[in-house]
Amino acid sequence: MQQEREIVRMIDEQTVEVSLPNRMGYERIAMDCSASFARIAGLVSHRIEDLKTAVAEACLNAIEHGNRGRPEARVLIHLNCDGETFTVTVVDEGEGIAEFPKEPDIEQKLAKLETPRGLGIFLMKNLMDRVEFNRKTARGHSVTMVLRMETAPAASKASREMA
Amino acid sequence: MESNQIFIEKSGNVTVLDIKGDVTSASESVFNETYQSLEGDSPKILLKFDPSVYINSGGIAVLIQLLAETRRKNQQVGITGLSDHFQKIFKMVGITRFARIYPSVEGATQGLAG
Repeated sequence: MQQEREIVRMIDEQTVEVSLPNRMGYERIAMDCSASFARIAGLVSHRIEDLKTAVAEACLNAIEHGNRGRPEARVLIHLNCDGETFTVTVVDEGEGIAEFPKEPDIEQKLAKLETPRGLGIFLMKNLMDRVEFNRKTARGHSVTMVLRMETAPAASKASREMA
Repeated sequence: MESNQIFIEKSGNVTVLDIKGDVTSASESVFNETYQSLEGDSPKILLKFDPSVYINSGGIAVLIQLLAETRRKNQQVGITGLSDHFQKIFKMVGITRFARIYPSVEGATQGLAG
C-alpha cells in the first residue's frame, strides 16, 4: 500500500510547510499555498504575484537541478511570516548550485549565442528583496527568499496579529 | 499540467496566435509546430495571452526561441493580454525591447500595421 504523506502542514500561526513530490507542475501547489498564506497575512497583491513567480522558480530549480528529476525525492517549502517579513525556504536533496548562470543578455539569447534558459535565478533575485543560495540543511540544500511585508491598510491588523 | 493550444487567427494583416493554457518548457513543441504551420508571409505576428496564464522561466525560454526565429525572418511581433505582473517580467527579461506590448488586439492591429 502506498504510504500517505501530508502535503501541507500548519506548524504554527506564522509557519506553513509544504512537502511536494519531485514532479514538474507540482510547483503550482507551492505557489498557491504561499499566495494564500501571504494573502491572509495581508501582503499587497502585486507582491503576491512576485512571490508566486519566485516560489515557482525555486521549486522548479529544486525539482530539475537539485533533485535531478528523481521521482522518489521531495521538495520541502517552508513559509514563515513574522509580520515584518515573509520568508520562503525551498529545500531539495541536492548538493547546491555549483555554477550560477550569468546575467541574461536578451540580445545574445536572440542571436542564439546564449541558451534561452537560465532565467529562474535571475527572476528570483529580481522579484524578492533578498535571496540566499546554497545553505546546507539536514535534509539537503536550501534557497531562502525574503520579502518585506507591504500590507494593504485593511489587512494590517491580520499582519500585526501574526507578529 | 494544463496543455497548450494555440489558435491562429487573422486581424487585418496581423497573424494572431491565440495562446490557451500555461506557457512552460512543455509548450516548446506546440509553439514550434504552430510557428512552422504559418502559411506564406506572416510579417506581423501578435502573441495573445490569457490574462490568467501561468508562465515560468521555461516558458519564457520558449518565447525567446520563437522571437529568435521571428527576428531571423524580419517579422514584427506584438504581445497582448498579459497581466501587469507578466508585463513587468517580460520587461525585466528584455523581451519588450523586441516585442511591444499592446493593450488589446485592436490596438496591436493598428500599432503593428503602422
